[in-house]
Amino acid sequence: MLQLLALHLVLALAAPTVFRYVGRRAFAILALAPASVVAYAVSITDQVRSGTAVTQAYSWMPDLGVDLTFRIDTLSWIMLFIVGGIGALVLIYCSGYFSAKATGSGRFGAVFVAFAGAMAGLVTAENTIVMFVFWELTTVFSYLLIGHYSDRKPSRRAAMQAIVITTAGGLAMLVGLIILGESVPGGYELATLLAAAPQSTAVNVALVCLLVGAASKSALVPLHFWLPAAMAAPTPVSSYLHAAAMVKAGVYLVARFAPTYGGELIWQILVLTLGLATFLLGGYRALRQHDLKLVLAYGTVSQLGMLIVLVGTGTKSAALAGVAMLCAHAMFKAALFLTTGAVDVIAGTRDLRRLSGVGRRVPSLAWAGGLATASMIGLPVTAGYVAKEAALEAFAHDGVPGAATWVGPLVFTVLVIGSAMTAAYGIRFWWGAFATKKSTPSAVVADSDEDLACIDPATIRRPSWLLSLPPLALAIAGVVLGFFPGWFESLVQPHAAQYSIGHEGHLTLWAGISPALIGTVIALTAGFGLFLARNHVERFQLRIGGKVEADYLYRRMMRKLDDVAADVTALTQRGSLPLYVGVIFSTFVIAAGIAVVMSPWPDRVRLWDSPAQIIPVAIICIAVILAVRSRRRLKAVLLAGFGGYAVAALFVLHGAPDLALTQVLVETITLVVLVLVLRKLPPYFSDRPLLRSRWSRLAIAIAAGVVMMGLALVASGARIHLPVSHQIADLIYEYGGGRNIVNVILVDTRAWDTMGEISVLLVAATGIASLVFLRRRTSNLERVGDLGGEATSQVWATETVTDRGAALRRRAEAAITKADPQRPTWLRAGRTLAPQRRSLVFEVVTRLVFHPIVLFAAFLLFSGHNNPGGGFAAGLIVGIALTIRYLAGGRYELAEALPVQPGLLLGLGLVLSVGTGVAGLITEGAMLQSTIWHFDLPIFGDVKMVSSWFFDVGVFLVVVGLVLDVLHSLGAEIDKQGEVQP
Amino acid sequence: MNIDAAYLVPLPVVIPLVTAGLTLALWRVPKLQRLFAVAALALMVVVGATLLVAADSGALVMHLGGWDAPLGISLVVDRLSALMLTVSAFVLLCVLLYSLGQDIADGAAEAPVTIYYPTYLILAAGVSNAFIAGDLFNLYVGFEILLAASYVLLTLGGTGERIRAGAIYVVVALVSSVIFLTGLAVTYAATGTINLAHLAQRLPEIDPGVSLAIQVLLLLAFGIKAAIFPLSAWLPDSYPTAPAPVTAVFAGLLTKVGVYAIMRTQTLLFTETRLDNLLMILALATMILGILGAVAQSDIKRLLSFTLVSHIGYMVFGIALSTRTGMAGAVFYIIHHIMVQTTLFLVVGLIERRGGTTNLDRLGGLAKASPGLAILFFIPAMSLAGIPPLSGFLGKLGLLQAGVQFDEPLTWVLVAGAIVTSLLTLYAVVKAWNKAFWQAPTIELPQERLPRTMVFPTGMMLVAVLGLTFVAGPVYGYATRAADELMDPSVYITNVLGGTS
Repeated sequence: MLQLLALHLVLALAAPTVFRYVGRRAFAILALAPASVVAYAVSITDQVRSGTAVTQAYSWMPDLGVDLTFRIDTLSWIMLFIVGGIGALVLIYCSGYFSAKATGSGRFGAVFVAFAGAMAGLVTAENTIVMFVFWELTTVFSYLLIGHYSDRKPSRRAAMQAIVITTAGGLAMLVGLIILGESVPGGYELATLLAAAPQSTAVNVALVCLLVGAASKSALVPLHFWLPAAMAAPTPVSSYLHAAAMVKAGVYLVARFAPTYGGELIWQILVLTLGLATFLLGGYRALRQHDLKLVLAYGTVSQLGMLIVLVGTGTKSAALAGVAMLCAHAMFKAALFLTTGAVDVIAGTRDLRRLSGVGRRVPSLAWAGGLATASMIGLPVTAGYVAKEAALEAFAHDGVPGAATWVGPLVFTVLVIGSAMTAAYGIRFWWGAFATKKSTPSAVVADSDEDLACIDPATIRRPSWLLSLPPLALAIAGVVLGFFPGWFESLVQPHAAQYSIGHEGHLTLWAGISPALIGTVIALTAGFGLFLARNHVERFQLRIGGKVEADYLYRRMMRKLDDVAADVTALTQRGSLPLYVGVIFSTFVIAAGIAVVMSPWPDRVRLWDSPAQIIPVAIICIAVILAVRSRRRLKAVLLAGFGGYAVAALFVLHGAPDLALTQVLVETITLVVLVLVLRKLPPYFSDRPLLRSRWSRLAIAIAAGVVMMGLALVASGARIHLPVSHQIADLIYEYGGGRNIVNVILVDTRAWDTMGEISVLLVAATGIASLVFLRRRTSNLERVGDLGGEATSQVWATETVTDRGAALRRRAEAAITKADPQRPTWLRAGRTLAPQRRSLVFEVVTRLVFHPIVLFAAFLLFSGHNNPGGGFAAGLIVGIALTIRYLAGGRYELAEALPVQPGLLLGLGLVLSVGTGVAGLITEGAMLQSTIWHFDLPIFGDVKMVSSWFFDVGVFLVVVGLVLDVLHSLGAEIDKQGEVQP
Repeated sequence: MNIDAAYLVPLPVVIPLVTAGLTLALWRVPKLQRLFAVAALALMVVVGATLLVAADSGALVMHLGGWDAPLGISLVVDRLSALMLTVSAFVLLCVLLYSLGQDIADGAAEAPVTIYYPTYLILAAGVSNAFIAGDLFNLYVGFEILLAASYVLLTLGGTGERIRAGAIYVVVALVSSVIFLTGLAVTYAATGTINLAHLAQRLPEIDPGVSLAIQVLLLLAFGIKAAIFPLSAWLPDSYPTAPAPVTAVFAGLLTKVGVYAIMRTQTLLFTETRLDNLLMILALATMILGILGAVAQSDIKRLLSFTLVSHIGYMVFGIALSTRTGMAGAVFYIIHHIMVQTTLFLVVGLIERRGGTTNLDRLGGLAKASPGLAILFFIPAMSLAGIPPLSGFLGKLGLLQAGVQFDEPLTWVLVAGAIVTSLLTLYAVVKAWNKAFWQAPTIELPQERLPRTMVFPTGMMLVAVLGLTFVAGPVYGYATRAADELMDPSVYITNVLGGTS
């Protein structure tokens, strides 16, 4: 089986290529795939008819109970003939149907073959989930096929409707299958499941779910409307998918489960009401359609309802009739669709009011249509006739098991009424398609903007045999089958035998004067009467036809859905950052607040370790409140900086000089960066559009703060274990080789974290650069030498509008004499500054302190392992030194101070740090493991060297690189962009 | 424990970091940058695959710097981590090739190449670090690395739109970091340790209220990253503006890191108080509200961002079930979702190129104009909508099975919610297909052929998406074994802390 499916797949994939070379004849090649299915079915005939099912199994996902198992019993075998045989015929028909110039035939052929494969898989799958896989695949392929004429809006809409409706049902069915699958071990295998036949409320729910799936696929009321809409597809698709194969999937599903569950009350209620209602509604609607395809579509809906009733009722006799009807229907309905397609091609219309003279001109088609219609309406000596007789007989004889006695006769009556309508629309169809009519339109429809004049029979072209032979073959087969009812019965009987209730039915041509025969006669007579009164029927339907149709409801629903979606999204997705942050903090307050309340409050709360702590805390509080209230950006930044320094003071009071040092340095650099950024921003925050919500925001903020305090209190009160750090102090020296616990933790114990954090620094640096430079990584370094000896005095020459100090400085401007370019200056790039920007004192101080600062940084770097310091602090200090040079001498001075690209420092620093770690991995067996060397140096004596020092150097380089990068981009580059070009 | 394979444990972070440093230092030589970047990610895939095999016979642990847990940092690669590492490395490689292809096609005019590669590699390092961290603070560092890199990538090019979106993204991410950091502080204050295995031992012993506080803080922090309702609104506002490959990798990986973190902490640390019902309700809200958002969109990038949010709900559902099957379903769904969302966003990049826009009302006719593109979109879109036999269906199947097995009223509601979400996802993507690929184009399509250098990596992703169906058996088996490991935290604890302590 898997090989057959693979063949379909291969042909589908190859289809576009094949079409490119052989044109539309390629359809015939594609027909090989479904034909091979028939061949396979023939080859296993003996085995299946002897009562042993053909099985195959391949492992797929055993953990989910999903394996590729196939099992072919009588029902599957019959379905294979239908799927393969009609598939092959329709494909051959396609090569005549599509014009040679049509585009997209390759795509169409590919999807069609893929569909045929999925259908074959569906009817043979033994694993319920695998069956569902194929079930959904047919849905998706049918979506693509319905939308074949994708530039037509009705096609697109019909395709979407079909996939949404059938998938909705499909998903319900999936839940049903899962419930059943989980109810017994191995429940995903049909045979196991049906043998175990679990019973419970959940199983009843599952059965309803299954029926919903079947109803959606087989177009039962109230989900039937997608099928008529799907007539937008090319006619071969309608014929195969929407008559013979796909819509039978629901019937197939019901036929699979009915032998076991046909007696369940909920099952019977659903099957009978849905089936019979569909049977009647479809027939009724078919009576007033003018498009031949729509007549057939509603006819199909109607017949599917009957099929569901027959195979679903649960008696042997009904099931026998049902399967026989299934075969008959596949043949006659496919034939009718193919005939319609041919008529459409040769006459150019499918409107039964306009068609005229087709039968006289193309008798072969008229015969095909006529025979198929005969089978459909159940004229004697056709397959349709024997099946319908058996159906009426079944209900006349067995009724509905377990139900009240009036149910059987009621069903019988409904079947007769429905059959009458079938006969009526059947005759109307044949008459409409083939009869020769007078040119006056049937005069019912008032809106005359349609062209309803009959076509001229002379314009009808002769169809190629490709168009007429396949329907004729199917129609004749349908009649011939009726001639051999005994043989027919022996084919389908094994499936009916699986049902446990009722007596065995029979397929016969003549069973004497029975209720069934009387019913048939009544139906045919009434049907003919309805046909004669067709204009009255149409007019009647138009008059009472309400707006409330399922299709209309569906569209209303979908529009409503779109509206609701838009409304809900507009509500949750405001695009407002304050709102999002507010929601997050509110969630925080509620969730964490509940947890805090549930926690035990510490018995005794110590407010401070030393009263001195109050001062920095007070400073922090005041600074933060003022910062939030400030309207001037610079003020806010400075106040936040105050807060930061106060935190450093707290660290000092806690006895953590390392942390304090780092905090101070970080705060300083941050301030510098922010001030550099603020140059490009308006001095004041924007007006407050959020004024109205400020109280709620304030409330959230205060609540969040309170919860945070609560967290801190309860958390420290909850500790019952010793912290891991209590063991660390000794190990730091013994194992880490240093006395500075902070530094050893940073570069050794938790060096991995540090490694991560310096990569964050690196990214931050590149990120700033990317925003400022946008296209290039950096500008080239511009050094004083590049200026070619000319003293350009333009750095910072322009005043920004916001610079309030400018007025003051301008007064002093006159006093500054133009500098002599030859005279040595304190700073090398001093001359590049605009004269009014220079400050002699600053230049001198910078000249004096720069090198000592760098030296100090080097000291910190080397001594960090044992004393306060380390690579991070050292890097920041170098950074501050560079900042001073920049502020004193402008961007040329910066380039003179450290003439390398920041990217190089950042990159090398990261490589060095990580490389040290890797060296540890290679030599010591663990990433970042450090080695300690002792050696004697002439002056320093015994020197202890720890490999993690190299790691620290890497950190140092990255930090220097970061500061340099910030100065380059936020400083120098912004200066440059702001300068007036001379 | 396999000593040899344990050596590989730090490599998924080390390789990209070293390469990032090199590529940054080599800013003058874009050719070498590209070569190194591709080689590094290819190597990560190899390392990931090796770890995948090795971790199947027991978790791999490395104590960094030789400091034994709980003092130093432990890196742990168990099955879940290995799986995540491998999948993310592969996805990162494909996306890198795609953006490389874009560079080649555009003559490197679009992105500032020189910083793109180092930043991208650091993002890779951050993602990997989050997956192998055996230490809560290190997990935080992993988050920081990937977030910092993502800030840069999101604002590449610095257009007004990207800066605005970036502002939302950065601020929300910072808030989540602050909450995470608070959680860390509370954790250490309450337990005196931050090693995950050690925490797993200590948390059940401390006061349940405080433990709950820690759990809530971590869930909040991770929930923001994973975009769980009501913390999800930032995502559809920020992701769609970035360049296509960046959105692709964000959509594929970043939210999943959050989901991974939830999965890890929920199974390892909070085995007794799971907050499962709460998580289920949130999962339901995430699914439904997310997918309604998708239905309402007319821009395909935004539409996909909403499906991204919505389907996070599936994974949370699996986690909240806290059964073996639920966890396995969630693991499988994560893998599926990483691949499929990434592929779709890459395809959207191609759509934008071919159709000139991502607005569905203006797109059209792509199925005829570019059948290859149609296939590239259709298959992952169907997979996203959970159409069998594609991976989206298989993951959903596992989750539904787990939900049905659980058999509680709330899980039945979740099962129904999952079904509705699945249907609406289908509706949304079919609507997108109908418009972008079928309707007549409203504007003249550019006559440009899609560059092969971009189509090829997308094709690689598509093959992987399809391949997931064929190897679903072994993959699902692996996911189930990963779930077994997750459901039995004692194994993790013993692996990290040794038999004693």
